[in-house]
Amino acid sequence: MRSTAPPDPTTVPQGATGHAGPRIDMIGNTERAIRDRALQDALGRALPVFRQLRNEMAAEIPEWELLRETAARTKDHVLAHLDIYLSQLEAQVTAHNGVVHWALDAAEARRIITELARTRGVRRVVKSKSMTTEEIHLNPAIEAIGVKVVETDLGEYVVQLAGDRPSHIIAPIIHKSAASVAELFARKLGVPQHERPEDLARVARETLRAEFLAADMGITGVNFAVAETGTLVVVENEGNARLTATRPRIHVAVMGIEKVLPRLADLGVFLRLLARSATGQRASVYASLVTGPRRAGETDGPEELHLVILDNGRTRVLADPKLQEALRCIRCGACLNVCPVFERAGGHAYESEYSGPIGAVITPALRGLEHASELPFASTLCGACLEVCPVKIDLPRMLLELRGRAVRAGLAGWMDRVFARAWAFVMGSPARLRVLGGLGRLLQRPFVRRGRIERLPYPISGWTAYRSAPPLAATPFRDWWASRRNASPPDASGPGTSRERDGQ
Amino acid sequence: MRPVALFVTCLVDQLFPHIGECTVRVLERAGCAVSFPPAQTCCGQATFNDGFQEQARSLARQFLDVFEGAPAIVAPSGSCVAMVREWYPQLFEESPALHERVQALAHRTYELSEYLVRVLGQTDLGARFPAAVAYHPSCHGLRGLGLREEPLRLLAAVRDLRLVELPRADECCGFGGFFSVKFAGVSGAMLSTKMESIEKSGAEVVTATDASCLMHIAGGLTRRGSRVRAMHLAEVLAEQ
Amino acid sequence: MSRDALLARIRAASPGPGSPGAAIAGRAPSAHALHPAPPGLPALPAPQVLGDPVALFIDRARDLGVGVERVPSIQEAAELAAARLAQRRVHRVAVWETPDLAPVLEHLRAGGIEVLGPGSSIEALAQADAGVTGAEWGIAETATLALASNPQQPRLVSLLPPVHLVILRADRILSDLHALFLHGGTLPSSLTLITGPSRSADIGSVLVLGAHGPTEVVILLIGR
Repeated sequence: MRSTAPPDPTTVPQGATGHAGPRIDMIGNTERAIRDRALQDALGRALPVFRQLRNEMAAEIPEWELLRETAARTKDHVLAHLDIYLSQLEAQVTAHNGVVHWALDAAEARRIITELARTRGVRRVVKSKSMTTEEIHLNPAIEAIGVKVVETDLGEYVVQLAGDRPSHIIAPIIHKSAASVAELFARKLGVPQHERPEDLARVARETLRAEFLAADMGITGVNFAVAETGTLVVVENEGNARLTATRPRIHVAVMGIEKVLPRLADLGVFLRLLARSATGQRASVYASLVTGPRRAGETDGPEELHLVILDNGRTRVLADPKLQEALRCIRCGACLNVCPVFERAGGHAYESEYSGPIGAVITPALRGLEHASELPFASTLCGACLEVCPVKIDLPRMLLELRGRAVRAGLAGWMDRVFARAWAFVMGSPARLRVLGGLGRLLQRPFVRRGRIERLPYPISGWTAYRSAPPLAATPFRDWWASRRNASPPDASGPGTSRERDGQ
Repeated sequence: MRPVALFVTCLVDQLFPHIGECTVRVLERAGCAVSFPPAQTCCGQATFNDGFQEQARSLARQFLDVFEGAPAIVAPSGSCVAMVREWYPQLFEESPALHERVQALAHRTYELSEYLVRVLGQTDLGARFPAAVAYHPSCHGLRGLGLREEPLRLLAAVRDLRLVELPRADECCGFGGFFSVKFAGVSGAMLSTKMESIEKSGAEVVTATDASCLMHIAGGLTRRGSRVRAMHLAEVLAEQ
Repeated sequence: MSRDALLARIRAASPGPGSPGAAIAGRAPSAHALHPAPPGLPALPAPQVLGDPVALFIDRARDLGVGVERVPSIQEAAELAAARLAQRRVHRVAVWETPDLAPVLEHLRAGGIEVLGPGSSIEALAQADAGVTGAEWGIAETATLALASNPQQPRLVSLLPPVHLVILRADRILSDLHALFLHGGTLPSSLTLITGPSRSADIGSVLVLGAHGPTEVVILLIGR
């Protein structure tokens, strides 16, 4: 990607869907999140476990790095030949009696699916967890034509009952406690207030089993679509996606254009990486490889299979050499689990179905940077995400790229602009640094108490909200060096400063 | 005597000169002839990480002018070295001549522990420091430069030093440059986790290869009245 | 039409021959290739050699809480299946009606268990206490079972009932997924890979078995 022509630095991706919404208030959201004790407890309990399991599972495979490398190169290859592989996928799905639909944006995808429901007399829809259908806001569109739609993944079911939003790609209610689910079920389903998760899961299972039996359309996402065989792969642990893709007479699968893989055998690489990276399992409990609807003589499986292939901003990411790599993403959530910012902010802070480091890249890329310009700054650039990414997406590099674009597009705050210009001015010459450093030593005097600064003024007061600051040293290193050089023998003066001045 | 140009970093120059002095002493003890090009200021990372690439580019050019003649450049900061090595070449992607020059420079720029262990092959620098020490691997050194063992080997060779295990060591301390002010709450929460780990470890001293992370950690420890001191790796290695 | 518009967008966006994806040389063979693949598709890693696949399969199944019992032949499997189902007070089983499983089904019927074959109503299947199936393949690395659909092998048998009893031949156990996918052959309308009982950790981050599918998977391994 680095070898191709650079994008016009002044371009900012434009919103694709037409309802990108107002600017995402990431800074304000994180400030609220860290004060939410229950959220902090839930994240602090769950994420270290995810991380540990993932690390154990990655370490168990000696050729783990080879798998990552192969996966990254396979995805790059697909992205370079996407038209060929999508055409091949279409031909194969069609050959197996499936129907392929193409959607340029969210509205078109919604229209395709609601039309299918309308023309086929669908009354009830069941859905399994799919970030893509979250992205296109499908449920309200289905409800608007008078059709009932029920989320069947346990977490998504809770989200739907609560009128909430998922906060993690693979663990949608990681922000909720079992007690709050118990309260919700009691209120909404009229069941006793169960405390144990297994009882709550049983309530959901029983309620949802009835929905499965009654549904006439099932909607799933697609984890991988195999071009050479027309096979759609749906990965899960609960069995709800299997039910969704099996029981109703119509199965609708929705995928982004980047989900296609060339060969069936590529699944050997990707399924292994996905399960171990996502939930730290050797394999997910279920991987359904669906090749067409039910065949002659079969007694179950859908009578119709529809595949919706969605763009919704992805081709713009594809056209962007510096961000294209983001389309390798297999939505495992490993970068969320390992991100220390996500661990404190939670998924809702990102105001998008894609959160964490990958969300901080994808949301601005899909919706337009002007709506999400704070997201790329929500990172210490610690690099933990890149280390675990199963397809080796260089997230820190892309976060930096987006920061640069935000600045060039005039989306940086005044504080940032003042700081950056002042910094470049002061550091732009050693003489200026000397003079202004000296001035700083004078100006800081009223703030220094016992060798520390406990309160800094706005706009850098954020620093002293959580820590004290060291004052500028009485003698900068460069002066010590100069005096040492002038003295003879070289070490006679000894170290010219004290620990206190270093704030230690 | 190996000639080494010291890039002391702006933070150490202006706030923590003692770290710079210790770096000089450690390098000299390792047999280096240390020089300090006085025209140096800042690598530009502070502006680069905040998206101000134009400003970063001008500081990078200044760095290039100052250090281009040096046979080896050593800095007491994994973060600033990662800036030079990883990001300078990308900053000048569009100007081949400059790109080539920074590329050459990048290969000669080293973090202190990296230079001592990987280039000079030295781990024992004659230091003695009787204290329980926890090592925090700064992210840009650890993941940016791949320095996992080097600082630990140097610490293991310090006499009377007891290295204690730091829980969740690989997790970021929450500094992140301007992030620490902009996302102060999250940064503070990450710092709390780090400080809890440090105190749990039983360390009297926490050390790292970066003055920036240490400024953040020390600021938090002082604020909470902790007895644990923060010291740069160079300061520990300079103790005798 | 959106199809052509989308493909046109992709072609306009495509990084072309200079991109990293296109630049990699070499081509890998594939069991299913119908169209010539564009050049540059990376070669696949070879299947792993993990020692005795059957021993590993049993080991990894245990990690999932899946019991594996070994029997010399289908006759013993039939007896053991009946015993295991009786222990779980199973009165009604949904089954695959395949020739391989015939002795098992016979044994169950003889023992007074109601057997629901393909073609049973979904309402009846939903009342089954257990499902009895075979499996096309086992995968040692993960203790995964590969089940294909066809008229005798409905999909819901392994999904709706709370207990799933699987009869697998030991010589069908492969080392890992790579070995499975390199096998080729025609794909069924549904090939399901099953690794342990249905589960969820969504509520309170606590692991619960039997989220929507079986709470228990029992494997009877025939031979060797």
